[in-house]
Amino acid sequence: MSPEIYSEVGSLLKWLLTAAWLLPLLGFLVEIFGGYWADRKSKVPAYLAVGCIATGFLLSLIALGTWVDAADMNLWAFESAGHSAEHGEGAEHGDDHEHATVAEHDHADAHDEEHHEHASADEHHGNDPLKTAFSGTFYRLGKFGRLDVTLDWYIDGLTVAMFAMVTLIASCIHIFAIGYMSDELTEHYEDHFVHLPGGRHFHRPGRFYRFFAYLSLFCFSMLGLVLAGNIFQVFIFWELVGVCSYLLIGFYVERHSASTAANKAFIMNRVGDFGFLIGLMVIWTWFGVFQFANTDPAHADQAGLFQMVRTHDGTLVTEGEGMEKTVSLQHIEGEARPSSIPYWLLTVAGLGIFAGCIGKSAQFPLQTWLPDAMEGPTPVSALVHSATMVAAGVYLAARFYPMFTPEVLLVIAYVGCITLFIGATIALVVTDIKRVLAYSTISQLGYMMLALGVGGWIAGLFHLITHAFFKSLMFLCSGSVIHGCHHEQEMTKMGGLYKKMPITCWTMFVGVVAICGLAIPFVTLPAIGAVAFSGFHSKDAIIASALTFSSLNPVHSLLFYVPLITAGITAFYMFRMWFMTFFGKPKDHHVYDHAHESPTVMTAPLLILSFFAIFVAVGGEAGPLVTLYGAAEPAHVAMGATDAGNIGLNLPSHEQIHNFHAQAGMAALLVAFAGTLLAYLFYASGAVDPGTVKRQFESVHEFLVDKWRFDVLYDWMWQRPVHVVASWCTAFDKYVLDGLIHGSASSVVKIAQWDRKFDEAVVDRSVNVLGEVTMSVANWFRGLQTGQLRQYVMLIAVSVVSLFVLVFIFFPGQ
Amino acid sequence: MNAYLAVAAVLFVCGVMCMATKRNGIGVLMGVELVLNGANINFVAFSKYGLLGLDGQIFSLFVIVLAAAEAAVALAIALNFYNNHLTIDVDQASELKN
Amino acid sequence: MSNDAILLSATIFLPAIAALFLAGFDKKAVEAMRMYTLAVTVIVFGLTIAVLGRFDASNGDMQMLVKASWIPTWNIYYQLGVDGISMTLVLLTAFVFVLAAMASWSIKDKVKGYLMLFLILETGVLGVFLSLDFFLFYVFWEVMLLPMYFLIGVWGGPRREYAAIKFFLYTLFGGVLMLIAMLMFYFNSAGSELAGGESVFDLLTLMKIAQAGQFNQQIQIIAFVLLFIGFAIKLPSFPVHTWLPDAHVEAPTPISMILAGILLKLGGYGIIRIAMPLCPYGTQYAAYALVALGVFSIIYGAFAAMAQTDFKRLVAYSSVSHMGYVLVGLAVWKINESGATVGINHWQMGLSGAMFQMLAHGVSSAGMFFMVGVVYDRVHHRDLNKFGGLMQKMPHYSALAVVIFFAGLGLPGLCGFIGEAFVVLSTWNFSPLLAIIAASGVILTAGYILWTVQRVYLGPEYKGPHAEDLTPINGREATIGWIIAIFAVVLGVYPYMMLGMMETSVEKLTQDLAAGYNASMDPAAESVTSVSE
Repeated sequence: MSPEIYSEVGSLLKWLLTAAWLLPLLGFLVEIFGGYWADRKSKVPAYLAVGCIATGFLLSLIALGTWVDAADMNLWAFESAGHSAEHGEGAEHGDDHEHATVAEHDHADAHDEEHHEHASADEHHGNDPLKTAFSGTFYRLGKFGRLDVTLDWYIDGLTVAMFAMVTLIASCIHIFAIGYMSDELTEHYEDHFVHLPGGRHFHRPGRFYRFFAYLSLFCFSMLGLVLAGNIFQVFIFWELVGVCSYLLIGFYVERHSASTAANKAFIMNRVGDFGFLIGLMVIWTWFGVFQFANTDPAHADQAGLFQMVRTHDGTLVTEGEGMEKTVSLQHIEGEARPSSIPYWLLTVAGLGIFAGCIGKSAQFPLQTWLPDAMEGPTPVSALVHSATMVAAGVYLAARFYPMFTPEVLLVIAYVGCITLFIGATIALVVTDIKRVLAYSTISQLGYMMLALGVGGWIAGLFHLITHAFFKSLMFLCSGSVIHGCHHEQEMTKMGGLYKKMPITCWTMFVGVVAICGLAIPFVTLPAIGAVAFSGFHSKDAIIASALTFSSLNPVHSLLFYVPLITAGITAFYMFRMWFMTFFGKPKDHHVYDHAHESPTVMTAPLLILSFFAIFVAVGGEAGPLVTLYGAAEPAHVAMGATDAGNIGLNLPSHEQIHNFHAQAGMAALLVAFAGTLLAYLFYASGAVDPGTVKRQFESVHEFLVDKWRFDVLYDWMWQRPVHVVASWCTAFDKYVLDGLIHGSASSVVKIAQWDRKFDEAVVDRSVNVLGEVTMSVANWFRGLQTGQLRQYVMLIAVSVVSLFVLVFIFFPGQ
Repeated sequence: MNAYLAVAAVLFVCGVMCMATKRNGIGVLMGVELVLNGANINFVAFSKYGLLGLDGQIFSLFVIVLAAAEAAVALAIALNFYNNHLTIDVDQASELKN
Repeated sequence: MSNDAILLSATIFLPAIAALFLAGFDKKAVEAMRMYTLAVTVIVFGLTIAVLGRFDASNGDMQMLVKASWIPTWNIYYQLGVDGISMTLVLLTAFVFVLAAMASWSIKDKVKGYLMLFLILETGVLGVFLSLDFFLFYVFWEVMLLPMYFLIGVWGGPRREYAAIKFFLYTLFGGVLMLIAMLMFYFNSAGSELAGGESVFDLLTLMKIAQAGQFNQQIQIIAFVLLFIGFAIKLPSFPVHTWLPDAHVEAPTPISMILAGILLKLGGYGIIRIAMPLCPYGTQYAAYALVALGVFSIIYGAFAAMAQTDFKRLVAYSSVSHMGYVLVGLAVWKINESGATVGINHWQMGLSGAMFQMLAHGVSSAGMFFMVGVVYDRVHHRDLNKFGGLMQKMPHYSALAVVIFFAGLGLPGLCGFIGEAFVVLSTWNFSPLLAIIAASGVILTAGYILWTVQRVYLGPEYKGPHAEDLTPINGREATIGWIIAIFAVVLGVYPYMMLGMMETSVEKLTQDLAAGYNASMDPAAESVTSVSE
């Protein structure tokens, strides 16, 4: 691409996405200030928020079109390969704006003069970001010699895809929230979850506007995170989404459980961010830049991180062995800074950044905050805690992929593996409908991490996007159920609701099928592959990657078996939830009788999302979605690796994964069906009584209900020690430091008292004695003055005589 | 000359004794006169036989004048004192004490 | 007198002169006196803006130099000037004083005396920031001390005498150490040809001497330790911080704002302006200890804050924690075996981060103390366990308070973040271990601030005493809150506004120090050892 075209397209994309990014911020400002002064019953804030985010979506779509055009992609390649003339298939997806726009642009510019540069997917995979990304700088935060901290943008296929996904889902959820939050449209909201002393009810003004303001702020932060062009900026928005999540979880500020959950979420995230900071410190010290990559030909001399770590074909150049091993940095010849970084430090940096991802994506061992975060209103759970923010950890891990050494990847894989298992097992026993979904989110995020860890970069992100759609769909469905059942969340009190709320029931079904990864076996359409919802394709890709990985590294075969089994567990608990909620006999007639289907403003988003949950992954790994962001895949992934890193890890190549694909897909499907069947037997047909099973595995059940006792453990490990240390510090201040001060002060006072005594007893005394002597002498003389004339005369006479006598005695000669 | 001096000394001593022993204010005054006159005799004697010359005579004149003035003042004080205290006992005159 | 001289002198002395005029006011004209004081502080702020207008950020040297003989016998000059480092702090000072003057409406008795001392305090502080003669600096330093003593001791809380005396003794102790160090430099400067063979108090000359390595190593170490103890008390750093909680708890709200917002910065400023440039060798000698002490202060302050039940004490301890970052950032000066500075840019980042942290803390801690003061004025207690539900009763206030507390927490987009992040990022270059410990502070900070927010603002209802007095904030209070919140956001979003102002000065400072260190290492050789990246 020539520099002129580059800057033209780049600036267009930049302005589009920046506008999409900043619009919600504007919305937030207007909503929070306007809403504060205005009527509590006004829906204007909601319309504003929806307007902002929907405009953002449109802008993202245009950007997506521009992107596809510029990268000269043929997103429908899979289709034209098989059915060159099959345009009916394309028409079927006419409603699909995303794809339609893409296709339009694609076709319109197919005969452009740039045709000679027609980049095949492989060419895009070079570590030459010029071809796959646009980057630039917004403005500077600080500059210190050669160190320059800036706010940047970095746009590649992944950015564009994430923008479209986030804005689309956010738009749907915003619309849904208009209905869901409508009971806040009042001056006197009565909160039944707050218990005041004396059994009074808690009243407060409605906070409709505030909810939408927070949502807008969140959208701003999330989009900023995706658009961020350097890792420090990611950290900034990372924290900002964290605080939005805090505000939204704690939306019902008067509920103690909500504010505690909000605190927990924020602090857990900060624990991850602590690791993130360590990663940043290493990067900053050894690289001196934060930018991912600099793709602007105008500033070709300033290399970004990815360009430094890896060569053009994506290999790490290392020297030495063991702890002495160093990674040579590229592109920094002629500059006086370290030209290599110790291998282990690069690993530390990677682990640090990944620690941030662990916190944000609720991975083991920081997963405990996410279920508690369900204290927030359901649209928040759908948007923040399933589709976007928690997926940001996966996004970052994917974005930062070139910086990860094989050791880090293995850690990522194992963390994901542990997480997906823990999450799924707890989801088996939870009865709160939102918490089931929360644990399932944890589990699915674990899948994504696992995929990234085993070298399935595309698979991980694939699942990220499909999961965002079907999980937000399911959350909204649960929101619809909760709304319909008047804020009842316990599945044990539901049942048989499919009659009352059919739309919710069947859209939920779409989500459930999608997440379980069910498909019609043995049927493949020539154009689009397997007949299945989106989740099948992505989970299939993950299992395939995991299988390939474990076959290449037999030591780590656990990384295949655990996710495979968990796929079955997933199917089981998801169908358990669906059956318990919508089928069987109503368990609580009070709830059942008052249940009702939600209004259109809530069901419409469900329908839109279920459409995407079905079709977003159409075509599987050859489909438009993967083509779109797949071009952003780091160069080294496609080829795999043999004996990489200090631990000699083998990473699968695309080709190897492809070979295992069919086998893995079969296994996954089988397990998923088994899980579904079990759930049917337990909760729908009544063939097995869940209660009996529960009693038989009493201790296991207890353990799972206690969430593997992580909360208790952390309480003992961290919370209490912190408070103890805190009280020590205070006591140290009070008794030791202040004690020293007081001690020295009182000793000074003591010395002063001694000094005073000395003064009084010695110095003053001596002066006083002199005075007293004078006085007494004078007193004696006073006695002489009697007033007796005769005495005086006598005295005079005697004195004169004695004077004479003396004179004569001493001077007799004269 | 020795005779003069002896008389003068006797007069002087008498005067002093008179001052020292008399409690009567007038008596004290008389003692003073005696002392002064004793001194006068000395002056005159030295004027006649000594080296003083006329100075001695003039001095004695002064002394006489002074004695007269003094007597006048002293008598006035005595009179006033008597008026106030109905006595002229000098031992009672202790108001300047303290 | 040049324009610069008039401008700088006016900036310094206007408040003191205005305080004299204040004496002429009628005792009962309380409102008029308050308005007058506010007007004076606003004018002073305007003057500092005028100084900024004449200030050239691209020049790292001292600018607008003013030099007039004051006490010729001892070579003492009335010498003023600004550079990027003092410029930002002068602006902060004038800014916080305006806010504190607005907050002074809560002082009800002996208003006249209060306002006079208040204005004299401003003169003292501005004088410290602007003076370039060590003796003048010392004089202003002590001038500032007295009004503060009375402001705490007369208008303070129940234990005000104790707090005031503690504050006074601590600071005076530091001042005495500074005096000793000052005299050491004074008498040692005579040996240098740079001072023309005379003893000088002139800081610029002393810095040149130090840069040429003409103070020997022993003097530098001793003097640095003396100066550092003096300034660390003000900063305050562990273990000489215990005056701070008491002084804050007892001081009236506006004085707490000034104390936290500005007076603490004098410690950091003193280290940057006096201790470091005069003792490059001493600084490097003590660098590890300083960073370690700073890191320890961060963690210690955070832990101590977590255990407090008094709202104001908690904020005071958070100051200890936040000022720890300043100490860390100042001292992250790493050298290799040959004495060349390693990663000077990282050090510059640390220094700038420390400076920014001072500015940010000046805004956020003043805000936090004000927010505590607002609620204390209403319910007359500060027991954290007896609050809750303020969000329901005072939504406007609570929203502002949460923003400001989040600024203290170091949330990106608000002012607290930049300083902390820059300091921590620059620390790894110096010592990975200390960097990791410092970074762990983010968790603790989040912990105690969020816990506080939860206990005070969230929850269904207020259960403490005087619930009926919890009225929404008035216009004056809201204005202060808004100004602080807006500045917190502006500084957080566009920190280069301040960082750009000090960029060249910080660069020059680090280079001078590196040169001075090399010169001190080997006085015989010319200081040509290059400053390696």
